Amino acid sequence: MLLIHCPYCEETLPEAEFAYAGEAHIARPADPSTLSDEEWRDFLFIRTNARGTHFERWRHIHGCGRFFNAARDTVSDRFLTTYKAGKARPDLSAVKEAAE
Amino acid sequence: MSRYRITGRGRVDHGATVSFTFDGKTYQGLRGDTVASALLANGVHLMGRSFKYHRPRGVVTAGSEEPNALIGTTRGPGRFEPNTRATVQELRKGLVTESQNKWPRLSFDLGAINDRAYMLFSAGFYYKTFMWPKSFWDKVYEPFIRNAAGLGKSPTEVDPDRYASRNLHTDLLIVGGGAAGIAAALVAARSGARVVLVDENPEMGGALLSDPAVKIEGQGAWAWLDDKLSELRALGVRLMTRTTAIGYYHQNFVALCERLTDHLDTPPANAPRERMWHVRANQVVLAQGALEKPLVYDGNDRPGVMLAGAAQTYLNRYGVRVGDNVAVLTSHDSAYHAAFDLADAGSRIAAVIDTRRDIRTDLLDAAKQRGIEVLRGHSATGTKGRLRIKSVRVNPVQGDKVGASREISCDALLMSGGWTPSLHLFSHTKGSLSWDADSNTFLPDRKTEACHIAGAGRGLWGYAAVLEDGVKAGLAAVEALSRTAQPRDLPVENDRPGTGVSHTELPTDRSPGKAKAFVDYQNDVTAKDLRLAVREGMRSIEHVKRYTTNGMATDQGKMSNINGLMIAADALAKQPPQVGLTTFRPPYTPTSFGAFAGYLRGETFQLTRKTPIDPWAEAHGAVFEPVAQWRRAWYFPKAGEDMHAAVARECRATRASAGIFDASTLGKIEVAGPDAVEFMNRMYTNPWTRLAAGRCRYGLLLGEDGFIRDDGVIGRLSDDLFHVTTTTGGAARVLNMMEDYLQTEWPDLNVWLTSTTEQWATVALNGPNARKVLEPLVEGLDLSDDRFPHMSVAECTVAGLPARLFRLSFTGELGFEINVPARHGLKLWEALMESGRAHDICPYGTETMHVLRAEKGYIIVGQDTDGTVTPQDAGLTWAIGQKKPDFVGKRSLSRPDIVGKGRKQLVGLLTEDGSQLEEGAQIVLDPHQSLPMKMVGHVTSSYASATLGHPIAMAVIEGGHDRMGEVVHVPMPDGVRRARVTSTVFYDPEGARLKA
Amino acid sequence: MNTQKHDFTAAPVQIEELAPAARFSLRVRPDGRAALAQALGLDLPGGIGDRTADGGREALCLGPDEWLILAPEAAPLAKAAASVYADAPHSLTEISDREITLRLSGPQVLDLLASCCPRDVEAMPEGRGCRTVYDSATVTLWRDGPTEFRMDVWRSFLPHVLGLMALTKAELQAGL
Ligand SMILES: [Zn+2]
Repeated sequence: MLLIHCPYCEETLPEAEFAYAGEAHIARPADPSTLSDEEWRDFLFIRTNARGTHFERWRHIHGCGRFFNAARDTVSDRFLTTYKAGKARPDLSAVKEAAE
Repeated sequence: MSRYRITGRGRVDHGATVSFTFDGKTYQGLRGDTVASALLANGVHLMGRSFKYHRPRGVVTAGSEEPNALIGTTRGPGRFEPNTRATVQELRKGLVTESQNKWPRLSFDLGAINDRAYMLFSAGFYYKTFMWPKSFWDKVYEPFIRNAAGLGKSPTEVDPDRYASRNLHTDLLIVGGGAAGIAAALVAARSGARVVLVDENPEMGGALLSDPAVKIEGQGAWAWLDDKLSELRALGVRLMTRTTAIGYYHQNFVALCERLTDHLDTPPANAPRERMWHVRANQVVLAQGALEKPLVYDGNDRPGVMLAGAAQTYLNRYGVRVGDNVAVLTSHDSAYHAAFDLADAGSRIAAVIDTRRDIRTDLLDAAKQRGIEVLRGHSATGTKGRLRIKSVRVNPVQGDKVGASREISCDALLMSGGWTPSLHLFSHTKGSLSWDADSNTFLPDRKTEACHIAGAGRGLWGYAAVLEDGVKAGLAAVEALSRTAQPRDLPVENDRPGTGVSHTELPTDRSPGKAKAFVDYQNDVTAKDLRLAVREGMRSIEHVKRYTTNGMATDQGKMSNINGLMIAADALAKQPPQVGLTTFRPPYTPTSFGAFAGYLRGETFQLTRKTPIDPWAEAHGAVFEPVAQWRRAWYFPKAGEDMHAAVARECRATRASAGIFDASTLGKIEVAGPDAVEFMNRMYTNPWTRLAAGRCRYGLLLGEDGFIRDDGVIGRLSDDLFHVTTTTGGAARVLNMMEDYLQTEWPDLNVWLTSTTEQWATVALNGPNARKVLEPLVEGLDLSDDRFPHMSVAECTVAGLPARLFRLSFTGELGFEINVPARHGLKLWEALMESGRAHDICPYGTETMHVLRAEKGYIIVGQDTDGTVTPQDAGLTWAIGQKKPDFVGKRSLSRPDIVGKGRKQLVGLLTEDGSQLEEGAQIVLDPHQSLPMKMVGHVTSSYASATLGHPIAMAVIEGGHDRMGEVVHVPMPDGVRRARVTSTVFYDPEGARLKA
Repeated sequence: MNTQKHDFTAAPVQIEELAPAARFSLRVRPDGRAALAQALGLDLPGGIGDRTADGGREALCLGPDEWLILAPEAAPLAKAAASVYADAPHSLTEISDREITLRLSGPQVLDLLASCCPRDVEAMPEGRGCRTVYDSATVTLWRDGPTEFRMDVWRSFLPHVLGLMALTKAELQAGL
């Protein structure tokens, strides 16, 4: 069981309080009707399936209820960082160095 | 008292005898004994038969790594446990134990014929023996395997014990309460850190319990232990004995299994047998010590052959001499101390047979003082004795030359092939190991977790070195916790440092092909098997392991892994690290299912939600069914009724007059705020802008992929407030999906969502007389059809309770859904029952609800849809707000595969012969086509309709909407049925009854 | 060795069901917080887990825009909030019946909670609260004293939660 830092509660808490919510930074197009079938397909179904750093969403479902973003290494299952929804992908070089 | 027990010696209570039975015979032991030590005190070495060859086996170790002495224990009815290690099971009054893998008895076993059929069971026998001829499989091989498979007997009764679990958060967890662990604990506890120290034994102390002559800080080892444990206790350290760290997971999450009652004569009422601890530690110190390795030579498995360290433990901890005339075979200095302690305790040491030529002079001197003969540079090449060792055959070795043999009689043979650091938990973390060529063992290398390894667990030997290392590990943990400590030196006198060498099989003058030199005792794997595996092409240790089963038994190769690796590497002419070490996996020792299940069994096995009206249903004989996490009343049988009869009666009563149904499980979400209507427009397919306050509408929710996710009736209570209902199973999912869009896609919207599923108890009232039942109870609302038409919602008072009243119908009849605050749910139900008495009101359950809705062609999301059904497929195009620019899933409704022909569409089905179809039955167009037939759809719902007098069904069929009136075929177990495709609305297609 | 603690007389934990009170879920954006606080006559704490109490009313911050409000009576509170809706749009939803509140106390109450709460309850300061999970049920936990807690449990989850608590209580009474 992992420990996850909720960027809203500012606490590191057991995974049991959280729910996974898929890949992060996939914004719903502002006007889906303007998308081609291929573009819409990519939005719906195409995911990076990263080996290594993966940007993903979690929800502190049994806590503050907020969706937030995380960078997790899918090989080591280690969280590199978590950050609030709507924030840009953070620069991970410092975090990664510290983890080495 | 037995002559093997030394009065007053050891840590057992010589004043307290405990009797127990082994294979039907009663023995006396002492409080503090294990079954193994008590049997040894009685001169019993033979404790089991081996798994494959049924060879007689004695106890080899004194700990949880024991491969041989596995017993069945009985602690009363239902409390039988197989494969308990006799070295771990403490004596308790009336304990009943039995040996395993024997028939008819331990001393004479017919299965031992396997031992003669040795060739049949050589490496890879699983893969070779049972391959040919094919006809042998059913009659010969399978019965043989079934008979031989499995270690011990499975219990046949339900486990009556309780099991518990507990979460624990701490600064520092120390695994292993030996010298290193205690030293680390002292440093950390003195610094003020929260410390947990666990040990799998009944007492803390580790090897110190077997080395009382050692002195630390000027005190005898045991006095020092008492002292330091009291200090730790006083400092608030949680000391947990009989507690095994079974697994080490991510981020210093360690699972501990604590054994609470197996050692007690009379456990207190309701005490759990075991408790699983889920520990989250900031820092971890692994001080698990080392496990002694056997030496590999012909006959190294005879009862009476055991590890030297084990014999030392039996002597010093339990006051038991393992023999009168003891030979010692070793490649490590440590065995000398066992020999000396036993000699000093009155056993004769037949000889110390050392494989090495160069031996420390102080050891030789000490042996000489005691008159012990030391044979240097010798090998053991065989043993004799059927049920107990009688002699060992030894030969001098010079280079490659094995000299003439000599027979040494003995009644016990102690062996030591050196020590393997216990790195199991470290391996669980995927920490890497490095091969230490000097000591021929793996040592911990790169760490992945915040842990520190101390003592013999990282290859150190001797108490001074181990204590110093424990202090160092404690300091490192304290520093990582941002605390400070002033460590003290822990000076040691009478230390027992030592070194040794490692071997593959010991050299022999006999044919190595005939030697039964065991590497893995539990799985009966010999050195020859390992070499055969290599000859037959296995290159990696993982392959060798699976081919030979070396290390695959319940002891996970605690004693066999390194010996196995050394032999495989030798056969491959490679360095051991090139051949690799197999991966250790949790649990460290076998762990009961009960400990894993904890509280989650029986009534608390899984969460079951109950509505406020559930007690009434239970009192009135309802049969329940699980729906999502809820238990719901399924039907209410009257005396003599089966389900079919009860449901038919409930359906007729509802259509004829009035039925009442507990709909409290429906999900409810309050959508509130100035942007509520905008949010609803974006989430649901339907248009909401022009829905007036006080009106409600069927809402359809899609996923972004265009498939139906949920549905429900949604009422607009005011401009800014919607009362959304969801399916029972969809409530949490829908709220999560809505929150997701709101928080991450549309955070600008001023609208908020609150689950009110449990705020309200909901009662559905249906039937032509529904209004007559309800009206007398309602205040503040005119229920007439023109003032409160179909699809209305209002707040009013019902039965004196504040209520949200909906007029809607999921049955096709005049219908109402009354929501009252949940605490009053039962009161509302009873008031309606009372009011409905004059109208023969009939409580009905979920089955009748299903039938009534199916008669009307109303879908159930998740039954008639399966996550691939669009609104068009389900015939719900009317629910789509075509003019809305966007809503969740809209773009997908024009995806090529969704507008394309041949999609499965929802239709009604009526069988020509009037028989009922099975839900899930597949549908074909041509029943005479060749196999495999092309399946064009399946039956989603099927019921006997009492109202219509014949069965009805719904199905999804390719191009179904264009097949109205066509006949399709439904193969069923008893023949192919012809069915005609119809509309899904079977009853009152005009909907006249709704408007009553 | 083999010491056994058998104290059957001590009550390690008390588990009581409290009478229902008015309970609301308040959702409001940061810019509307002050207006709501004034209307409700209750400071709305800004940090998740923080609590305030005033005149019989209590507020617990559960999320960045979410407060749980307790009051002796529902109607006055709802009315007060409604008066500022136009200027400070919000959602105030009555959930008095959604949860049932347990009062948990006694010398071993931390052990009781540690049986099914994965989070470090011991480390939770007095006077704070949080939403968390007890076995598989979402609960709201209030720490009122060193060995005193309140736990709000969704009504339908209560039998399961009480079933687990009964097991743990019996276990604690057994003294092992
Ligand atoms: Zn949070």
